[in-house]
Amino acid sequence: MRAWIGLVCLLPGLATAEGIAIRAGKVHTVAEAGVLTDATILVLDGVVQAVGAGLPVPPGYTVVDAADAVVTPGLVAPYTRFGIQEIELEASTRDDAVVAYPLGPALDVADAFDDSSTLYAVNRRDGVTRAVVAPRPGNDPLAGWGALIRLSQSEQLADTRVAMFGTLATNEFSGGSTAAVFQRLREGLTNARRRAQRSVDSREYRYADSEALHALQQSGAPLVLEVHRSADIRRAVDLAETFSLRLIILGGSEAWKVADVLAAADVPVIIDGFANRPSGFDRLGARSDNAAMLHAAGVRVSFTSEETQNARWVRQIAGNAVAEGMPWEAALAAITAQPALTFGFPNGVGQIVEGGVADLVLWTGDPLEVTTWAERVMIDGVWQPMHSRQTRLYERYRSLDAEGLPYGYR
Amino acid sequence: MKHLLLLALLGISAASAAREPYDSTYEVRAASATLFRNVSVYTGDGRTLEPTDVLVSGGKIQRIGEQPVPADDIAVIEGEGRWLTPGIIDVHSHLGNYPSPAVPSTSDGNESVLPNTASVWAEHSVWPQDPQFALALAGGVTTLQILPGSANLFGGRGVTLKNVPARTVQGMKFPDAPQSLKMACGENPKRVYGQRILPPATRMGNVAGYRAAWAKAAEYRDKRAHADAEKRPERDIGLDTLASVLDGNILVHNHCYRADEMAVMIDVAKEFGYRITAFHHAVESYKVADLLAREGICSAMWADWWGFKLEAFDGVSQNVALVDQAGACAIVHSDSPIGIQRLNQEAAKALTAARRVGMDVSAGTAWQWISLNAARALGIAERTGSIEVGKAADVVLWNRDPLSVYAKADLVLIDGFTYFDREGRRPVSDFSLEHTAAGGGA
Repeated sequence: MRAWIGLVCLLPGLATAEGIAIRAGKVHTVAEAGVLTDATILVLDGVVQAVGAGLPVPPGYTVVDAADAVVTPGLVAPYTRFGIQEIELEASTRDDAVVAYPLGPALDVADAFDDSSTLYAVNRRDGVTRAVVAPRPGNDPLAGWGALIRLSQSEQLADTRVAMFGTLATNEFSGGSTAAVFQRLREGLTNARRRAQRSVDSREYRYADSEALHALQQSGAPLVLEVHRSADIRRAVDLAETFSLRLIILGGSEAWKVADVLAAADVPVIIDGFANRPSGFDRLGARSDNAAMLHAAGVRVSFTSEETQNARWVRQIAGNAVAEGMPWEAALAAITAQPALTFGFPNGVGQIVEGGVADLVLWTGDPLEVTTWAERVMIDGVWQPMHSRQTRLYERYRSLDAEGLPYGYR
Repeated sequence: MKHLLLLALLGISAASAAREPYDSTYEVRAASATLFRNVSVYTGDGRTLEPTDVLVSGGKIQRIGEQPVPADDIAVIEGEGRWLTPGIIDVHSHLGNYPSPAVPSTSDGNESVLPNTASVWAEHSVWPQDPQFALALAGGVTTLQILPGSANLFGGRGVTLKNVPARTVQGMKFPDAPQSLKMACGENPKRVYGQRILPPATRMGNVAGYRAAWAKAAEYRDKRAHADAEKRPERDIGLDTLASVLDGNILVHNHCYRADEMAVMIDVAKEFGYRITAFHHAVESYKVADLLAREGICSAMWADWWGFKLEAFDGVSQNVALVDQAGACAIVHSDSPIGIQRLNQEAAKALTAARRVGMDVSAGTAWQWISLNAARALGIAERTGSIEVGKAADVVLWNRDPLSVYAKADLVLIDGFTYFDREGRRPVSDFSLEHTAAGGGA
């Protein structure tokens, strides 16, 4: 480490101009280094150059005194509609699902991604730095390919086709039987493996969809299936094993009942920790301590928020999971490192590690508390603006005063 | 209701009085006196008390302040590190009307067949076995208002319930709480009916619909009072509701997101001589907080919901605090079976957002947003919503400061009776038996 820093200092033209040294009271690396107190994080060229206690600050680095701050990796939201849905109830702002066209797994959200959404700034200033954008099942139980984005001001799309998304949560696609959905998945996957299917019948997989399923099996990208009923979770695990797919369970309201199965198969789950209601007959076993039980059984858990415009809720969800018995460190990991590891994102996303992306949040205190907030947010080594449409509206109306120009000029 | 008051004045037990149809059958359960010793307190009216003692007995709050060692028949709960608050009051819920499981056969919250269904009463859709009531109780909710949905200009009458397990809705009704009328502005009515090529299809159509109904109601109300019974109009159940609003007996709770629409609704109310008690959802109240303060209208708001529809696009996290700061009545509501389980956290988030921009708001004020101000909007502030001597012992004991994400309710008392004990007594709905984890199913 010291040798590397020394080397950097010998190359001033490359290194010293943009270097940032953050002196933090507490750093949660969510990696092997664990929790560090009075530590320094060196950031250069968008990556974490070093993190540790007592690190010397190379000359030319901008020093940020954050002695009172708690630093974590940026939050990673594992299941969102960022850039493909601006306003849920305005159909013209949505590109998240195909409903009037026979297309399933071949859909790729990158083809519709909007880089100017107002949702980025709102969630960024509350600490969300990366997100998985997933399509919603429309005509087919398999919805298509999702992407990885960063919630920066530009160049948000970080990687495409990071996972295939689908659902077993309802039988609406089959018109009456979850068994038919399983059969369709098996048939589609088998045909894709054989690459013999060339049908254009909309009830079977078209060429492009078959190609997508073939690519899924070849690439090793994960298949994320929303499924809640414990029996369906078991069957999904079996299906994934049969076709050698990397399965991720989304939703998983009754996952706690089959925690041993998930742990044995090392199938991670992405859950909305607030979903504790018996809101459907496929999730009568929903409970508040689902995450705590899964974690205790050795299942890898990530948290998602029900709403993309409030992807920022994941830290409140994590805090509630702690109140329900999940270890604090595991709950923080469930909104940082674990989503990244679940999808297999490279470059230390969701962690603070040497050589990893410099996505950092400086919090005023415990990042899982509802009484703290993000003071500063860094993405790829760049401090992000902390304003949004919401902060602009607040500034405009904070003082209701008849004096001066009308509000439209403020 | 009048009979009950009269009988009470005469010293006759209300229990023996003739019951009016639809009246509450809720009865306060006998409970031993309880002394909460050394508890920190959010009083619900804005104050925070350093660790002190609170004695409840006979279903009421009897004494606040250090107590001598009590007699043997008083249960003593050591509060070291724990907090006592008034029970949380949610002014906007659909529990029982949109229960879990959420399936077509349980969907009873929106009579979306006509834009004016002032005739329907939300209480007639409440399924007392909704498992969500128990989840809300675990979150410290002691009182909640169930409102009809917002598909219609006039959605119908709302009802205020005590969050107690009961076989009937009457057994949950908050005795003598005024009923409400749910009205809705904006996108929902015009979308629901516009799609069917029926009025209203626009916001101006919405307003025309309100005015036409109120004009008819005013005429009905006058004729109803005619001295000559022969000249009274044929009874109309929907107009009964609107006329009772004009008489001041039913409180108006108006779903309204946008500031400009609130101002229009205030003028509609002035034209026909009724008062708006609260705007619900009120995402843009911060833009007209001065007007709302002047008119004495409460705003029931979320801490941070925004953007799920265009009329919610201008949501800001300081909305609640800005309304409060302007001197208007600010309430944090849920409108959600998830949010109702943690309204304490929602109030904390609204408080935090204010502090983040340097606003000076106290923690005690944040609790007022989910207790006394909510009670005020429901017309029950004289009886509950704050920890004051003589008020109902609707209280929650928390294991720590309840404005923390980690806080859990240890005990929830309604009229002094412990309906929830984290280590013991918890209600389980009929539906949950064997089915769910709470009901002993695997």
